[in-house]
Amino acid sequence: MRGLGKYLYQSESIVKLLKRFGFLLMMLFVTAQSFALDAQQRFPKPEFATGYAQPATTSPSPRFLLLEYLDIFVLLAALSVVTWFVLKKRSRKGVFWTSVFSLLYFGFYREGCICSIGAIQNMVLGVVDNTYKIPLTAFVFFLLPLVFSLFFGRTFCAGVCPLGAIQDIIVIKPIELPKWLQKVLGLIPYLYLGLAVLFVATKSEFIICRYDPFVGLFRFDAPFHMMMLGILFLATGLFVARPYCRFFCPYGVLLGWMSRFSSNHMTITPAACIQCKLCANSCPFGAINEPVVETGKRHSNVNRMITYFILLPLWTGIGGLAGSMVHVPLSHYNKTVYLAEQLIEHPELKDDQKNIDIRTFLTSGKTTTQLIAEADAIRHQFYIGGWLLGGFMGFVIGTGLIRLSAFRRRDDWETDKTNCLSCARCMEFCPVKRDEDGKITINER
Amino acid sequence: MNDKIKLAGRVAIFAAGFAALIAVLLIANYVQSRLNDPIENKTIPALVKRLNASPEDETLKSEIRAFDLIARKAYFTTKWQIRTGTYLMFLSLIISILAVRYLLSVRSKLSEIDPAREEKGLDLLIAQKWVIYSGSGLIIIALVSGLLSYNSLKEYMVNEKMSAAAGEIENPAIQPNRQAGQVEANLDPVQPNAKVEADSTTVQSNTKVEVPGQPATKDSASAKAATVSAPGLPTKAQLRANFPFFRGSDGTGVAFQKKTPVDWNGADGKNIRWKVKIPKPGYSSPIIWANQIFVTGADAQSRMVYCYDRNTGKLLWEASADKIEGSPAAVPKVTTDTGLAAPTMATDGRAVFALFATGDLLALDMTGKRLWARNLGLPDNHYGHSSSLIIYKDKLLVQYDTNRTGKLLAFDSQSGKPSWETLRNSKISWSSPVLVNTGSRMELILTTNPNVSSYNPETGKELWKIACLSGEVGPSAGYADGMVFAANEYAKLVGITAGDSPQIAWESDEFLPEVSSPLAINGLLYIATSYGVFACYDAKAGTKLWSEEYGDSFYSSPIYADGKVYLTNTAGKTYIVKATKDYQLVGTPELGEKSVCSPVFMDGMAYLRGVNQLFCIGSK
Amino acid sequence: MSTDNLPKKMDRRRLIKNGMQLTLGLSLVSIAGWSAFKSTSDRLVWQLDPFKCVQCGRCAKECVMTPSAVKCVHAFNLCGYCDLCGGYLKPDPNARTTAAENQLCPTAAIKRKYIEDPYFEYEIDEALCIGCAKCVAGCTSFGNGSLHLQVRHDRCKNCNECAIARVCPAEAFQRVPISSPYLIKGGFTKGKNG
Repeated sequence: MRGLGKYLYQSESIVKLLKRFGFLLMMLFVTAQSFALDAQQRFPKPEFATGYAQPATTSPSPRFLLLEYLDIFVLLAALSVVTWFVLKKRSRKGVFWTSVFSLLYFGFYREGCICSIGAIQNMVLGVVDNTYKIPLTAFVFFLLPLVFSLFFGRTFCAGVCPLGAIQDIIVIKPIELPKWLQKVLGLIPYLYLGLAVLFVATKSEFIICRYDPFVGLFRFDAPFHMMMLGILFLATGLFVARPYCRFFCPYGVLLGWMSRFSSNHMTITPAACIQCKLCANSCPFGAINEPVVETGKRHSNVNRMITYFILLPLWTGIGGLAGSMVHVPLSHYNKTVYLAEQLIEHPELKDDQKNIDIRTFLTSGKTTTQLIAEADAIRHQFYIGGWLLGGFMGFVIGTGLIRLSAFRRRDDWETDKTNCLSCARCMEFCPVKRDEDGKITINER
Repeated sequence: MNDKIKLAGRVAIFAAGFAALIAVLLIANYVQSRLNDPIENKTIPALVKRLNASPEDETLKSEIRAFDLIARKAYFTTKWQIRTGTYLMFLSLIISILAVRYLLSVRSKLSEIDPAREEKGLDLLIAQKWVIYSGSGLIIIALVSGLLSYNSLKEYMVNEKMSAAAGEIENPAIQPNRQAGQVEANLDPVQPNAKVEADSTTVQSNTKVEVPGQPATKDSASAKAATVSAPGLPTKAQLRANFPFFRGSDGTGVAFQKKTPVDWNGADGKNIRWKVKIPKPGYSSPIIWANQIFVTGADAQSRMVYCYDRNTGKLLWEASADKIEGSPAAVPKVTTDTGLAAPTMATDGRAVFALFATGDLLALDMTGKRLWARNLGLPDNHYGHSSSLIIYKDKLLVQYDTNRTGKLLAFDSQSGKPSWETLRNSKISWSSPVLVNTGSRMELILTTNPNVSSYNPETGKELWKIACLSGEVGPSAGYADGMVFAANEYAKLVGITAGDSPQIAWESDEFLPEVSSPLAINGLLYIATSYGVFACYDAKAGTKLWSEEYGDSFYSSPIYADGKVYLTNTAGKTYIVKATKDYQLVGTPELGEKSVCSPVFMDGMAYLRGVNQLFCIGSK
Repeated sequence: MSTDNLPKKMDRRRLIKNGMQLTLGLSLVSIAGWSAFKSTSDRLVWQLDPFKCVQCGRCAKECVMTPSAVKCVHAFNLCGYCDLCGGYLKPDPNARTTAAENQLCPTAAIKRKYIEDPYFEYEIDEALCIGCAKCVAGCTSFGNGSLHLQVRHDRCKNCNECAIARVCPAEAFQRVPISSPYLIKGGFTKGKNG
């Protein structure tokens, strides 16, 4: 078409001239130019008479891949060292300084990413998204602490996790929370884990990372809400020891499952318990079980337990139902679902020039029907996920009740293997000591 | 020892106090940085606005510069302060914590926790109680929030399905009636009941559109054919009796109307039956069905379809192509010589279809009520999309060659559902599809750079293609007697023997059209160039028979009607020549207005769109 | 509970414990095995596709870093070196100079350099750039689109899920292998990475 335009383009001096004119001529030039070059560039690359060479666009490279492998090595080394301190050396000091190192390395140097807690999400995304390849680091950070936990207890929490370390250091005046409060708050990690998995499985978002309270402190830079969340947790942590670890950490749930059946978990005393009760108030995390003395009538205790057993399927079923009911509000947090609902409920937003999301959608060429079908499919995933999440929570509550009602005979002061963070504080209290040669002595206080 | 404890205590308190002080300062700074955000800054834009009003104001300029410097300095200084402050705060907090830890370690070797006073055994029962409470609480919250929430998606999906199902049931019921009404009207011009209710809000002047069947009754054979045809689909004869597409019922530039006018003058009103100003500009040509004539017009504000009474020029209705999903928020940049409404509409007597440079495809029934609309995706076209629409049976065919991809799309004309989509390995083009019967089959012929290609209009399957064009192809194909003619400026003019193994029979490069399409009829081929040459070739051999240089350029395409060829130049002067081997000029009537559209014919009248007005030409 | 059956009970507990440990161990092994197929030794980093970008301005606000780790980069190879630059100058500028009232960039992060008549070079000072995409919008609508946003990996913390990706209206953010961490226009063309 446009012969004039072609003529203009052929004459380079005119091209140069045109460049100096205003937008009006520029528009004319736009039409003339775009067909002349295959690359559809409006303005041709200049040929400099002075022979000026264009600079190249810089692209600073990300962190070396090799350093990622260093992270894996440091993780393995730190886990081994802290396990050695806990189990062999029985040294609180050793554990403490390992955790300081981990805080400095994984926290302030690596700035909190990648961490094992967040790696749960990478694993789940790997399951649901066929195109997503799990990075080796994420996979190792997820698996290695679990493997250690299965054999040696939660030594990861004691000295490797930077989130744990920053809280552990500021435990100044810990108080013991009432048992009921501990149990109720102890349900939160399960819910958090379930929600995190649900949100990743529906490809909505990574909530664990979004609400990570300490990553902002590690980086000295974060959005306001993240920073405040971190400071809030630390302030609470002065009195309630390691609140995030005990009452929020979703990875702690998995570690707890492993640790519970671990074969070489740390013990308060290196030899037989002498029932001195010195360790009774040593644990700031409420993870020491006292000797069990059955209280109340045995008959009614057994009956209660049987009732709880019968109620377990009921908890699971009703929980599932409740979870499935809540799928609609939950799915609001998915971007696609939210956009689709906005379009249906507020059609006037289509004319809103300021609504970036709707404006971008309208120019994307996708139809509302397509979007809504997509959103509906995601909501269906939330429905299925809601059943599973609710059922899981019901099951957790049901089994929690059973465990609370069971009187399992225990004569000594022992660690609660599920919740024990292997911090080795209690060992300092125990007067029974084992020296280098393995000789047992009892310190008098 | 005591001194050390005292010192540690003081250090702890002092460091904590310092940290708290910095925290307060940081929060204040944070708030301030929010106010200083360079993106949210309101002052500078306001000042620049004032400057635009008085561009020579030097004091205002220096004011802007000073303020800009202060604002940027403030922003970056605040950033530095926040960063440094955070480091200081953390440092002092660490010192404070270390001091406190030291204090505690001196006071007692081992730190015990403050135990909660609880009665043995009872605490377990209380814990059970609370776990039950909180568990039930969770479930109740979930149930209530579930019950209170409202799933508008489901609602929408259900409605969508219902309306789709209803549409399927409704369409066959309503459509034949409407069509029967029209066909009856075609058969019997006296029947007064054949009226189509116009219930659309867009109807402006007349709520009823009369459909007396003047054209078809002249040819009783075609009327009979109409009565026996399947409900809805127009017959070939019906299509030929009307003027349903760009360049006629086949898109080849051949009109089947007789007694077409040869003399008029738009300036003094000679043989002008009516003329009407079209509200919005557009380079699309008119189309006609029965008593209705349709044109499109568009500007940045809206894209419109206008329907006029063919006999009186009265605006029957207008419809806007708005509120279409996927339609771009801003109109694309187009050149003034292409505009936003370049594609000509198409109709099958049941509905009219319009396409705009925004990619908005609109289907309206004959009363202006919207049947469906969709956006085909913003066409990446540096002049503006201009390929016209054509209909084959129940399929609306869209040539959609853009800078991104070349596509041939087919939509179900009633529902708007995509029937098929063929990816064309082609560059962008501005030409329009041509629908021809090659004797053995129907073929849809498209021109672009570099191919002339033919498709099965039923399935979209490519039948054949031949590379012979280059550049930015605007002219569509011409067709007659098994030969396809294609041409483009700076390329060449070719005669192609169509078929599964197409061959270039002849080629020429003497006169090449830029926008105007070739017309083949009676063994002759007509070419009109943008530098004002009108040429006639022997279609079989490719030899030039005659050429005339007129001056003003030709953008519109030559149209054959009643033994004559009509060609209008951009000044609005129409050259009418006899469709014979030798050059016989019949007349050169003037429209009195610039025009880039091709004339359309119906009932012994010609209709021509100028840049502003639509003219109806015929003896009074 | 008599003392006779205590050892037996302890045995049962140990059996359950060992069984559970074995089960958990096996499940970890199977997870490891499965992940071996799914994992990649190539690490993934975040990057944005400049062809999908709609210049909404969220990159400046949503990044966990202040200022954002997303910066404007200049593909010099695509630049027309125009005097009247839609990315550098405000629309309808008072004069074609570097004066504050004519500059589009809110932080004056673009440096304009005279090369030869009539060509000017535009360079981004990344220390000043906040990634607001104002210049990108200008260059894309009026020019060649050589100015565009990219995640700068010397600043990006590579969060597990990018905070900008979560809110990007155009879904322009994606994970790319660390071996090719940039999608700079010119080398990277539209449609190459889906």
